[in-house]
Amino acid sequence: MEFYYYVNIFETKGLEYLLLICFLVLFILMVRYISTSDKKKS
Amino acid sequence: MSNKAVLIGEFRKFFKFLIQEMKPRGKWLTPFNIISIPIILLGLVILFFRFTKGLGSVTNLSQQFPWGFWIGFDVVTGVAFAGGAYIITFVVYVMRVEKYHSIVRVTVLNGLLAYIFYAGALVLDLGRPWHIINPIIGNSFGYNSVLFLVSWHFLLYMIAEFVEFSPVIAEWAHWEKVRKFVSALTLGAVIFGITLSMLHQSGLGALFLMAKPKIHPLWYSEFIPILFFVSSIFAGLSMIIFEGIISHKVFKDLIGEKSHYSYEEIILGLGKGAAIAMFVYYFFKALIFIHEKQWVLINDFWGYWYLVEVIGFVLIPCFMFAYAVRNRSIGIIKIASVLALIGIILNRLNISVIAFNWDVANKYYPSWQEIVVTLMVVFSEIWAFRWIATRMPVFSKEN
Repeated sequence: MEFYYYVNIFETKGLEYLLLICFLVLFILMVRYISTSDKKKS
Repeated sequence: MSNKAVLIGEFRKFFKFLIQEMKPRGKWLTPFNIISIPIILLGLVILFFRFTKGLGSVTNLSQQFPWGFWIGFDVVTGVAFAGGAYIITFVVYVMRVEKYHSIVRVTVLNGLLAYIFYAGALVLDLGRPWHIINPIIGNSFGYNSVLFLVSWHFLLYMIAEFVEFSPVIAEWAHWEKVRKFVSALTLGAVIFGITLSMLHQSGLGALFLMAKPKIHPLWYSEFIPILFFVSSIFAGLSMIIFEGIISHKVFKDLIGEKSHYSYEEIILGLGKGAAIAMFVYYFFKALIFIHEKQWVLINDFWGYWYLVEVIGFVLIPCFMFAYAVRNRSIGIIKIASVLALIGIILNRLNISVIAFNWDVANKYYPSWQEIVVTLMVVFSEIWAFRWIATRMPVFSKEN
């Protein structure tokens, strides 16, 4: 029988979830960053 | 006068007009002509030997390396660069963003020519080129093959792009009724073209799914089709920026004043799109890297080469695009677009040539003839583009 360690960040794919959360946060920040140029212009 | 006589008269008039248009315009002794004419002539000689003596006489292709530089650069990379057409037509005709209207015609022309020349170069690479018609006429369709999808999509997309561009041809030939008719077809052709494009951009990636044991694990992934599709977005946008820079210098007399004025805004908008697409692409790559636990592969030549591609030619140009858009720096956008294009060439060549059969002793290197023929294809496309752009209303004077 295979044991499953829920604290293992690799086996639980925790690293992938973390990366996705980082992506979503960074994506919002990036869009805000590049959208500032429109405000600058107006 | 009978209808037949009118038709013959019209045909004669158009024929005379066509002969007039065929005459060369401008100076002959330009640096581009001096470089491109000998290469095109040499390429034609090489192609004569390729078609009379076979692929082996001019290429380094073998049973182990059946796909080389012609497929890797001309077809796989060229089609990614042509992605700008489906993005811009989507933005203008479906999203109704009028800002980009002035570049629709030139972008569609670039896309159409890229498909005709680069996807057309597929004929050169087929051992039995006369079999290219098989997937179309139903001589062993091969429904399960990705090539079946790709070949049909290439054909249908070329027709869709021709329909999208046909109002320009009708305008040039002064066929008012035809122009009205084909203009009415544009939106349908655009929607059809976008659907086809999304599918065959990813379909080109799907071609490599069956080569899992041959591609280095850092480049192989079951998500190659998605990566190909997402990367075609910023490849297309970067190509439009790059071509825009050249067109603005070479064809400055043909571009209206208002277009010159909005040029900066268009470039900034395209740069913004490219930055976002590259950011998404980079995270897809990172996700696959972690999902496949690829960090064990990073500490050797192939690992460093992979980092050069992903960090040097995806992440860095992505940040450059973002910085340039925020600070309204057209110069940095130009550099970033060139880096992004190099990144796409590297990525496609890595998958199809460089990291393909990466572990075999006798590697494939393209012969000089393969490189000359590739240059011939690129130069021929530029010649065709120049001929059309200087005669047909591709650059709008009003817009």
